Amino acid sequence: MQQARERAQVSGTPALPPPEIVLVRYGELALKGGNRRQFEDRLAQNIRDATARISGVRVERRRGRLAVFPERRTEDVAFRLQEVFGIKSVSPAWGSPSEPDAIARCAQPVLVDALAALPPDREVTFRVHTSRGDKLFPLNSIELDRYVAEKIMPGLGRLRVRLDDPELALGIDVRAERSYVFVRRLPGPGGLPVGTLGRALCLLSGGIDSPVAAWMSMKRGLHVGFITFHSYPFVGDASKRKVVEVARLLARWQQPESRLFVVPFTEIQTAIRDAAPESYRTVLYRRFMQRIAARVAAENRLAALITGESLGQVASQTLENIACIEAAADAQVLRPLIGFDKEDTVAVARRIGTFDVSSRQEPDCCSVFMPERPVLRGKIEACEAAEAGLDLAGLIDRACAGIETIELDPEA
Amino acid sequence: MTAPFIYLDNAATTPVDPEVREAMRPFLDAEFGNPSSRHRVGQRAAEAVDRARAEVARATGAKAADVVFTSGGTEANNLAVLGSARARRKHGRHVLVGPTEHPCVRESAQALVEEGFEVETLRLDSSGALDLAHLAAALRPDTVLVGLLLVQNEFGSVQPVREVSARVRARSPHAAVHVDAVQAFGKVEVSLRSLGADSIAISAHKVHGPKGSGALVVNGAIPLRPLVFGGGQQGGRRPGTEGVAGIVGLGVSARLAEERRESACASMRRCRDIVAAGIARIPGARVLEPGAPAQPVSPAILAVVIPGAPSEVRMNHLEELGVIVSAGSACHSKTSQVSPSLVAIGLSAADARCMLRFSFSRATTESDASTAVSALEAVCSKLESARK
Repeated sequence: MQQARERAQVSGTPALPPPEIVLVRYGELALKGGNRRQFEDRLAQNIRDATARISGVRVERRRGRLAVFPERRTEDVAFRLQEVFGIKSVSPAWGSPSEPDAIARCAQPVLVDALAALPPDREVTFRVHTSRGDKLFPLNSIELDRYVAEKIMPGLGRLRVRLDDPELALGIDVRAERSYVFVRRLPGPGGLPVGTLGRALCLLSGGIDSPVAAWMSMKRGLHVGFITFHSYPFVGDASKRKVVEVARLLARWQQPESRLFVVPFTEIQTAIRDAAPESYRTVLYRRFMQRIAARVAAENRLAALITGESLGQVASQTLENIACIEAAADAQVLRPLIGFDKEDTVAVARRIGTFDVSSRQEPDCCSVFMPERPVLRGKIEACEAAEAGLDLAGLIDRACAGIETIELDPEA
Repeated sequence: MTAPFIYLDNAATTPVDPEVREAMRPFLDAEFGNPSSRHRVGQRAAEAVDRARAEVARATGAKAADVVFTSGGTEANNLAVLGSARARRKHGRHVLVGPTEHPCVRESAQALVEEGFEVETLRLDSSGALDLAHLAAALRPDTVLVGLLLVQNEFGSVQPVREVSARVRARSPHAAVHVDAVQAFGKVEVSLRSLGADSIAISAHKVHGPKGSGALVVNGAIPLRPLVFGGGQQGGRRPGTEGVAGIVGLGVSARLAEERRESACASMRRCRDIVAAGIARIPGARVLEPGAPAQPVSPAILAVVIPGAPSEVRMNHLEELGVIVSAGSACHSKTSQVSPSLVAIGLSAADARCMLRFSFSRATTESDASTAVSALEAVCSKLESARK
């Protein structure tokens, strides 16, 4: 008679247990001398925040690396970390007692699992690469490479050693208390940990460009707040939701918190329509956006504005018009896309997943009362003259008082 | 979730969690908008659908954009099998399905034969575990789909999906790996990454959500032909106005299922052990665990063969004592044939007719399990004395 059996764990991988940790390699921040400690701490915190909803994790600092110990779902944690700035690559890794035989025994099923996914019936080039944090370990790195290779290769007939660019590279990380083996190196996004370079505010429209500008800024270590302008009821809430959706996709890259300021813009647009020359409307809308964004940035201690502007992308994106807009408020403006062709921007937008949402056809506030022939080479004096009849302070105060602040729950 | 009976048929369906019901309620009431409508009423519904999409994505290690809502597990499995195979037909027409699949995978694969596909069924080895050597030999360069369930619905075996997908990658570069995770979700880790899968089907009502709601979770932009055509909702992969309340229910039930997975498994395991120990005391009775011990078994399902009386009779007697179990998989228990899955594990027709399935959920208590054992003992001795 067959009895019900006790089993410690149910999993889909009886041969190979789930990986125990994720090894995280970072790029540039290792070069940052005095700030290094601070950068590592930030990266560790960003890792904890990004994975919080998948699993609790403990992060340990290693020589030039971080080791992430998830409580559960290690593979999902590794996948998630591929979208944390500052990370160059990650490897799900299996733990073993720090003893040559145990390490070889641990490596065996890891290699079997990796080999199973490579085309059968041919040789697979292979090497072992040991990195030794524990210099008291009985074997040096090269000796351990050789020891492990000799131990496991006989059972896996297809492997052939090639030190230069092998198909399978078994990594061994030797530590005094426990050692780790891995074969996969999944690329991270590179860049610098979000927050290490300060905070800024990105003007988000419904278009393809501004989300890419925000993402490129995050990649260089900025934490980004978002601001958008909504002209209800000329523009419906579907347009606002589109911006919210895009902002949530971006929020994924800078957990735990992101904020979107939605500024009511109807009164300002109506006032400009009624008081200013038609051809200047677009430039004037943007001057108001600049002023309001500058005020919101100052109030929230965000040190710069970010826009998706790129020279000459539409006829009105000229040096003169950009100068008119910038002159409206005293703020540092970053334009990460200035040297981008449209294809470059689209390629990034596709990669980060904002393209599909951004290309959905929804009107945005810039299309409200759009002039037939917008000015191409705007003059600052003309802008100022057109605004002379407007209650600038009142319009801006009322818009700022009506701001709706949305705390973005990434992708939810 | 109290009831005047002890419900041990959770593989058929589960009671709706009150938290799920409360989350759904507004969408059967004031929040009745169409998510495709551009006005505020519609946009609030769209917002709720997005939230559910993110919850399902988190529970399966996917991205929100990769969740396709369906009318349930059957449609999700059909969409994966038919949709993936059809989208890949330029690469070949060879399809492999597991030996113990649910009919919704087996029969949708069979429907491809009429379209010129060749469909082969994988095998079990002599121990009842999936035969990986046979799989490796069956994989071809023109294989375009491999469909396998993660937890078998009749006897709970956990299939080695990761090992299968590795072999598929090695031998069949154009093949999609589809995983039917309907019985696995909330019981084992269901993750695109750790399974190495291209798509995963789940269903809400197996994890304390509403019936009529499920999802196919896909790995990025894999090619997938839709089964239905319409207004372009869900990127055209599954058009039709979204069933907002059901989708909200799926989102919450998926989140709870994954959040509570470890504790639920521990408690289901204890219940299963209590019933299994009771079975061990019944002369001639045995637990079905094909492939054990190499192949693990879900803590939620306990299949047993108790010779001496047809399972229907035993089920009815247990019902009379307030204990609800299944005489076979409810999805096709109306047909009297032995299911192909039971044939595959080598169960004789006589034994199959004496099979009972106890299935547990996180709502099952140890006292439920003990009461069920007492009831089973009472039924067995009653039926035994009736035969004398």
